[in-house]
Amino acid sequence: MTRAEVIEKIRTVVFDCFPDMAGQDIQEDTVINTETAIDSMGFVLIICKLEALFDVRIPERQWSKLLTMGDVADAIMKRLPKA
Amino acid sequence: MRFDRFSQLLAHWAEAAPQAPALRCGGRSLSFAETWEAVRTRAEALRAEGKTCLGVLADGSLDCVIELFAANLAGMQLVMLDENAPAALLRQLVAYTDIDALWGDEDLVEELTPALTGGVDDGEGKILFFTSGTTERAKAVVLTDHSLCQSAWNGAQKLPLSPTDTLLCMLPLGHVFGFVCGLLWGLSCGACVALGRGARHYIDDCTYYRPTAVSLVPLLLGFLLKQRAVNPELKLILVGAGDCPKTLLEAAGALGIRVSFGYGLTETSSGVAISVRGDPFAMEICPDDTITLAEDGEILIQAPTCMMQGYYKRPDATAEVLRDGVFHTGDLGRFDEEGRLHITGRKKDMLVLPDGTKIFLPEYEAALMQALGHTELAVTLRDQRPLLIYSGEGSEKEILAKLLPLMTELPRGQRLCGVEIVQEPLPRTATGKIKRWELQQKG
Repeated sequence: MTRAEVIEKIRTVVFDCFPDMAGQDIQEDTVINTETAIDSMGFVLIICKLEALFDVRIPERQWSKLLTMGDVADAIMKRLPKA
Repeated sequence: MRFDRFSQLLAHWAEAAPQAPALRCGGRSLSFAETWEAVRTRAEALRAEGKTCLGVLADGSLDCVIELFAANLAGMQLVMLDENAPAALLRQLVAYTDIDALWGDEDLVEELTPALTGGVDDGEGKILFFTSGTTERAKAVVLTDHSLCQSAWNGAQKLPLSPTDTLLCMLPLGHVFGFVCGLLWGLSCGACVALGRGARHYIDDCTYYRPTAVSLVPLLLGFLLKQRAVNPELKLILVGAGDCPKTLLEAAGALGIRVSFGYGLTETSSGVAISVRGDPFAMEICPDDTITLAEDGEILIQAPTCMMQGYYKRPDATAEVLRDGVFHTGDLGRFDEEGRLHITGRKKDMLVLPDGTKIFLPEYEAALMQALGHTELAVTLRDQRPLLIYSGEGSEKEILAKLLPLMTELPRGQRLCGVEIVQEPLPRTATGKIKRWELQQKG
């Protein structure tokens, strides 16, 4: 899976969890806390859905280090099985 | 029943109801007899190791609970640490609180081991909790297993549980509200405590454990309700550690769940007032406590059985707030005609977030000022999230870009949700202090 595909799936999950954000421009450098309506619990929800979707596990201690959508994509990419 | 020590509590229920379930965590379960046996066995091992002060990187697991009860039984001082805090801060806290042994995630323990100290001479019974926020200014509050047991009893007088109840513990044990109202409250009543399986399972812990009672911070309550993640057996929710929108309490009430709101501080070993009937924000004072109001409305607490011993190695800070046995909370309140307490605001320069953590504004704003090289700013809450009010020129994107490294160091809930740029000076008092109430009203 390419990075662009991962980002696209993240967008889908975000819009699914937060329908009010539909149509919002979410890019790799979008900062989760300040440029979106996602609070800390919303972030937990998104990460759990992404973990299930990609079948990966991001350690909880790493979660606080994920600032941007790109950081989330990196964390997922790192744990995807190698093709 | 009232207990003086953790060991007394465990020994009592191990004798009175040995086979009754005490702790559940995922697929593991321990009866009271098994719990007491595990605690005693582990305490023997800890005694043999000869350490005196254990830092617990609390992960809320069954092993974590056994370890902390065992360390207490072995006469060790306990320090409750947030395993999600930055490692650099944890190293400082390890040194500051004289920790000579650590329990928790192996990698983190290894990382912190160089900071270990020579331990303490007089730690028996002491349990240190950091005032929530765990920032550099956070102070370690010295409580004891005695004060925590009294606090659990105090709360149970207002909200009793029975041995047939299951209390779900979803809150971090490193915070006193989680420790007392998520763990001790249940155990002291002989109820089973189901240990939450971490943030990943917030959404399905209720359906997995089917609890009858749970203690929550407002943020978590909102999450569970929004995700419809509460189970039909749930009959009691205790909410505390932060301001809670009335709509949330009403939404829970509409599901037929009794909702109580509690008020307390780390310094008072958790709750001193709890609502038990009618208006959820009208709180009755717990039996061991006396609450009065200062002339300016500040809430003053006398809690002889539950009061902290003081802030660790900070007699100056202790003397500021604890005078002649009276704790000056910095919170503002009023009594209604029935003598019930209502919280009306805060006197301290502090924000209380819906996840129960606190932001000490002078420290937080100083860090923002340093990062931005700009002093005309203040932080307030918008939609329960921290918002920067920036007086001056600039764009939100530029300002946030400069703050990104600082934000990385903060827990997610404490990160700014945005910047409001204003052209006029910030509202200030005659002495130059920011009029926070005015800012909050605008926010």
